[in-house]
Amino acid sequence: MWRRSRYRRERILLPGEREGRRTFLKWGLAGTVLLAVGGGAWLATRRTRPAAGLSGPFVLLSPEEVSVLVALADRLVPARAGFPAPLDVDVPRRVDAIIAMSAEPVQKEIRQLIRLFENALAGFLLDGQLRTFTDASPEQQDARIRAWQTSRYTLRRTGYKALKKLVYAAYYGAPATWGALGYPGPPARGLPGPAPARQKPAEPPAEEPTRRARVPRESAVPEVRGLDPSPAPRSGMDLPPERKP
Amino acid sequence: MSSATPAGRILDASELKRDAEERPDVCVVGSGPGGAVVAARLAARGLRVVVLEEGGHYPPEAMRMDEAWAYPSLYQERGHRATADLAITVLQGRGVGGGTLVNWTTSFRAPPQVLRHWAERHGVSGLDEKVLEPHFAAVEQRLDIHAWPVEQANANNRVVWDGAAKLGWERAPTRRNVTACQDLGYCGTGCPVGGKNTADLTYLADAVRDGARVFARARVTRLEKAGKRVAAVHAQAVDAATGRPTGRKVVVRPKLVVLSAGAIGTPEILLRSGYDPSGRVGKRTFLHPVVASFAMFDRPILPFYGAPQSIASHHFADRGPGKLGFFVETAPVHPVLAGISVGGFGALHEEQMAGLASSSALIALAIDGFLPEEEGGTVSLRGDGRVRIDYAFRPETWEALREGNKAIARLQFAAGARVVRSLHEDPVVMRSESDLGLLDKAPWEPLRAAVFSAHPMGGCAMGRDPERSVVDSRLRLHWLENVYVVDGSVFPTSLGVNPQETIFGIAHWASDHIAAATG
Repeated sequence: MWRRSRYRRERILLPGEREGRRTFLKWGLAGTVLLAVGGGAWLATRRTRPAAGLSGPFVLLSPEEVSVLVALADRLVPARAGFPAPLDVDVPRRVDAIIAMSAEPVQKEIRQLIRLFENALAGFLLDGQLRTFTDASPEQQDARIRAWQTSRYTLRRTGYKALKKLVYAAYYGAPATWGALGYPGPPARGLPGPAPARQKPAEPPAEEPTRRARVPRESAVPEVRGLDPSPAPRSGMDLPPERKP
Repeated sequence: MSSATPAGRILDASELKRDAEERPDVCVVGSGPGGAVVAARLAARGLRVVVLEEGGHYPPEAMRMDEAWAYPSLYQERGHRATADLAITVLQGRGVGGGTLVNWTTSFRAPPQVLRHWAERHGVSGLDEKVLEPHFAAVEQRLDIHAWPVEQANANNRVVWDGAAKLGWERAPTRRNVTACQDLGYCGTGCPVGGKNTADLTYLADAVRDGARVFARARVTRLEKAGKRVAAVHAQAVDAATGRPTGRKVVVRPKLVVLSAGAIGTPEILLRSGYDPSGRVGKRTFLHPVVASFAMFDRPILPFYGAPQSIASHHFADRGPGKLGFFVETAPVHPVLAGISVGGFGALHEEQMAGLASSSALIALAIDGFLPEEEGGTVSLRGDGRVRIDYAFRPETWEALREGNKAIARLQFAAGARVVRSLHEDPVVMRSESDLGLLDKAPWEPLRAAVFSAHPMGGCAMGRDPERSVVDSRLRLHWLENVYVVDGSVFPTSLGVNPQETIFGIAHWASDHIAAATG
């Protein structure tokens, strides 16, 4: 679990907010109270319920932080025929990788946001719920998400948007989810035959040209001509290497 | 003279073993449509050119047609760029080739009435349709810009074509900078076959052939001033995987500096260098704020595939005084972009995603910056040095987005949509044209309606008055003798069309007098 001292040390800051400004005051009375009582209140020490089946280690996030995001993902993508469960498409590793790639101040803000979203004290003061997010029932969790989504405070809607984008980017980035959408995936590579030649444009045409060599397509899914079946490995890729669970 | 020059090269600064120092004639910061053209045209005159680019170098064979790879690799801030409150998602490319690496190839010349507005209202002189004509003709030839055949438009673009025909609205095939296009639909994740004539494959390749040296993953931290000149450009090499400084530095001591880092990056560099004499750097940032509409059809649309944008309508570009115009285009739909864009969560979100293969996504782009009271957005620096974007929505902006949403929903119904949804967090669900009025009751507020931008412009506006603009009508900084700005940041307003060809063309024009300034 997280140590109480963390709550006392760190000012709560949402993505996009300036460092060094007491932006939390914008939240009005509830926010001011929360800021004043800080981590001292017993509610803030309530434990995060660990997600079952987590397979770390993670690059950046703690297992508790990942558990919050998995619990959130389970509500953003509830069970539905054809839609794999977030845990089954590696959402924990994917959210961890996405956050780990961000600039350090962004990482810090997102982790603070995750903790605030989970926090029982914040839940109590803002939404009247006495539980951490991970410990709440699915109905309470939906209500908590809804409260952030529809809040009159822009800052909470910002927090909701950040979490929503993070979870959906992780989930729908997984090829195993694409079948549920009717997305066959990127075109097959390695169709035999040469790629259409890259032509150097010749003299400027006299009239607006509209027709160029058309690549005939037999199925609805395009295929790439003249390309290796898989992209050539090269150094200097921008992503951290895949990690085996 | 270029044949006598030894060929330059593209180096990866993250692989530097020691600090590098260069003393060229010209240092170009940024390798998008602005920087690439200037580099090519100056190198062709025999000038020694060094280009600094913060992003990586990705040739076509490195592209994966995969969003989970592309957004962190090829987009600003790992794909997370947005206004500070996250109300506007800003999709902006990053890499050798800049925005052209990931844009959807739509090519327009700057509308003449926009150039006239800049002359009349912003004191821009000597930049009109006639002056730019030969420059646009030249870039159209080099980039092979031509109209995409209507019969080859994908079903998503056919929605605009067919819908506009039924409604009697203006419609036109868009022109695209492609040659060996295989009609795949992955322009936004980097063309894997080199079919798109991006800045890196065209002008930057020309520059390298003529001796230019390009440092990829070299992020400019500041300009070093000496009197009324910039004496040096300081950059740090950044690691490919972590994006953090490797510790190696690149210092360029040129005779002349050209800033082409884009409408967010150029103001960022100037502000970080402490240059903002009139308080106008980063002001008047315009975004073409975008609203989208998702429609489900009873037939497959497969919006993932085919040229992403090939039909546009400018029917509502001029809506009269006091109103922002808007124009209508399409958006390609891939799982991640759809997932972060569609309104709501849970079962509501799933239901929309499950229908993706039968969905059409249209967009309406608001033409901001033309009302006298409009100031648009602001680029500034956060306490920790990172860039910050804010955008002030006006009631007129929301009105245009609302009416734009109605227009694209009408097109979708006219083309046979069964149900149309807005991108509100509580999506407005419309089952026929008679439901369009529901959009009037929807909340048009930040973070209740999804808003996007793919066209950051302005922030270093050109103009006559040094107190109201940042560069003069020849794109030179008002207060420094040897610094030019050549990118979309010099626009005093937005453009009303997709900006890439205008940036290519203005860069082509500006190269002539920049060359003259090198003496």
